[in-house]
Formats: sequence, C-alpha cells, structure tokens
Amino acid sequence: MTMGWAWLILLLATYPWLLGADLASDALASSSLVFFVSGACLIAPSRRLKRWQMILFAGCLGFLFEARRPIPDGALALSLVAAAIFLSTQRQHLRNTPGMLRAAALVNVGACLIWFFAAAYVAPVPMGDIVAQLMRQLLLAGVVGTVCLLPIALTQNAAMDRLGVPPAAEKP
Amino acid sequence: MEANRQGARASYVALAIFVAIWILLPSAVRRFTREAFVEFQAPALHLVGKSRDLATFWEKKSRSVEEMAAAGRDLARVNAALELKLSAYEDVRRENVRLREIARYNVPPEYLSVIARVATRDSSSWWQRIVIRKGRNDGIRPGAPVVFGNIVVGRVTTVHLTTSEVDLVTSPGFRCTAYLEGDEQNRIVLVHGVASNSLGTAKARVSVIPRDYSMPAGQPARVLTTGMGGVFPSRLTLGNLDGMTYATQVGNFSESLLVPSRDLYNLQEVSVLVPLLQNPGEALMQGDQFQ
Repeated sequence: MTMGWAWLILLLATYPWLLGADLASDALASSSLVFFVSGACLIAPSRRLKRWQMILFAGCLGFLFEARRPIPDGALALSLVAAAIFLSTQRQHLRNTPGMLRAAALVNVGACLIWFFAAAYVAPVPMGDIVAQLMRQLLLAGVVGTVCLLPIALTQNAAMDRLGVPPAAEKP
Repeated sequence: MEANRQGARASYVALAIFVAIWILLPSAVRRFTREAFVEFQAPALHLVGKSRDLATFWEKKSRSVEEMAAAGRDLARVNAALELKLSAYEDVRRENVRLREIARYNVPPEYLSVIARVATRDSSSWWQRIVIRKGRNDGIRPGAPVVFGNIVVGRVTTVHLTTSEVDLVTSPGFRCTAYLEGDEQNRIVLVHGVASNSLGTAKARVSVIPRDYSMPAGQPARVLTTGMGGVFPSRLTLGNLDGMTYATQVGNFSESLLVPSRDLYNLQEVSVLVPLLQNPGEALMQGDQFQ
C-alpha cells in the first residue's frame, strides 16, 4: 500500500468510531444533544500524517458529519481543514498524552461550536435559551473529546503502523 | 521549523482560495458532494438497522412457548375487536362513496403507503430527524407525510437512494395547519416545531388559536390535520395541546404548546404516505433539497 492512500485507509479505520458516535447520538436523541467526536479524530493522525494527507482526512471527516445534517455545505469540513493545518504547525505540543488530551478537548469543542452556529444560521426559527443549550453541548463535546481520544488514537495508530506511516518525529 | 511555518502559511492561503471557489461553485456540485457522503454511509446505517432487527428477533426467539402462547391469545382477542371495527368502517366507506357520488366531489389524490424501518435518530437544538431505511429506490419522494397509525410523525425532507430523512413534528423546520378538537367552527391554527433544549421534552408550538376557544373539559384537546395544502390527509392526529394557552403579544390570538401523541424517539417503524399524484407542496419541496 502506497503512503499516498494512507489518509483514506485511516478514514475507513476511523469510520466505526464516527458510526458509534452516531449511534450514541441516537441514544441521546430525546435530550437534543449530539455525540460529537470529529474533532478528537484529528489529533492522532496530525502527529504522523503529512499536511496534505491531513487536509484530505479532515475534509472528509467534516463532510461525513455534515452529510445528513442541515448545516451549510462545507462549514464544518473546511473548519476542520483549517484546524488540521493549525495542528500540523503545533506538533511539538502533541508529543505527550496530556498535550494530546488538551488538544482533543479544544479542537472538539471548537468544531462543535462551529457546527452549532452553522446550524443556527440556517435554522428556520430562533431559539430562546441558546446559551444554556450551547453550554451543555460544548461540555459534552469537551468530555467526549477527552474520554474518546485514547481509544480512537489507539485504533488510528494501529492502522498507521500497519500502513507503514513513519512514527511521530521527536523534533517536528 | 521555518519551512514548516511557511508551508502552513501556503496551506492557509490555498484554503482561503478553496473557500472562495467553494462559495462560488454551483449548488449542484455541493449537492453532489453531500449525496456522495450520504451514500457512502448508507450501507453502514442499513447494517446497524438490520443488526437491531436481528437482536430483536433473537430476543423474541428466546421467549418461552407459554409466553408466546399467551401473546398469541391476546393478539387473537385484539384481532377480533379490530375485525368488528373494520366492518363498521366498511359501512362508513360505502356511505362516503355514495355521498361523494351524489355531491360529485373530486376524490383527493390517494396515497401509496410504504412501510419503513427507522435506522437512526438524530436530534439537536436545530433539528429533530429520523433516518428511515427506504429511499428513492422504493418510490419515496420529498414532502411525503410520515405517519404511525393515525398519528403524524413528520415529513420526508431529503430522499437518498436507499435512505430518507424525516423531519419530526417537533423539528424547527416543520409547518402545518390544523384544527383543534372542540372547536365547532373549525378555525385553522398553525403548528410549527420549536428549537428544543436538552432538559425539556421536544414540543411544537400551536399559534393563532382564537381567543374564545375553550378546551374540552377533562381531556387534553387533540390537534388534527386539516388536509389543506395537500400534504397531509385530513383528520390525522398531530398531538395534544399542552393544557395552558397564553395570549400573544398583540393579544388577538393565543398560543400553546403541542405534545406529540407518541414518543417520536421510540418508533421502530413508520408509514410513508407517498401521494400517487404530485401535489403543489411536493413540487415546491423539490426545489428545496438543502434541508
């Protein structure tokens, strides 16, 4: 397998987690909360993949979330691409587990904030207590990003090891 | 390090150019991208739904023979009662046909009922939807009403090849006209979904309630479809009024909340009523594929 397709194989390896998140959202449906993990899925690959591969990976990750949801096309996908470019310049902060956990929480919360406002932008009716609901959603995204990072990263690292992607450089 | 930063800067510039191109692209390209990602996920959704069905099957198969016999006996009793009701409805249908012939009334377009299993539910403040395992291949069209028995579940908003998305009655995008039970003048009220918050049950809002409307005593007032606009058949139940009505700011009308008659998040199966003839509402929906 050539390195060029590593991002696509990694996306397929990550997809079960996205599906799991959709199922968890299904279980949370009565509480109007979405189990959001797309941001956390970016962290482990951004340590090892090349920048262009990360861009494609992040874009597809965003489009997978957007596909069945009424959000302006590309709003989340392009934001995740921007986040991926930013993460590729901050690899020195992703060398240890606490740094990765912090990054997962931040990126997941940031991406969640973007989809929430993107959805609000096209929503047909205004919402009264938006702040309380937004806070609950962001809190969930932060917790989910932190808790799910390790198992997701484990899966992604195993996939990248199998694909022969070089390990994260000590001095990026 | 410097090369890395320069590379990142170049990537940001490329992204900005791509965003500009993306905005200017024809909507068909964006729709194609969305469709491609939906179809990529469709097999997984089908697999999840079928796995659930399989789990239910084995759970039922593990029941004892005595339990099944008791359930069969109960079902036979219910069937007997329903058969009596059916024969009564047959009389009503015959009378209806006879009256229509006398009045030369135009028969409304009939519906083709397509039974669909629910694959997943998805809900946030801004949308409340279910994904069903039937799509364009099964004849589902955007705008078709979705019901469970005589209860309105919602309306099909987007149709893909093998799956469809249904906006629930409580979803902010849902709009419908209705009659209130107990209003002898049959004045029309409006029902629309409201953006929900996670601590409360999802509800819709009923507006333009006449000030002099009084709810039937001792029971919640049902909210029924009018059949106008040709989307929903008439006299289907949308839900019940949530007790209190309160005056609007202008004071000419009242408003209330609508509680769905059934927990919409626990449905396993729904019926999609596909009109045999395309109605005006459906034609409008076809130009609104974004939602």
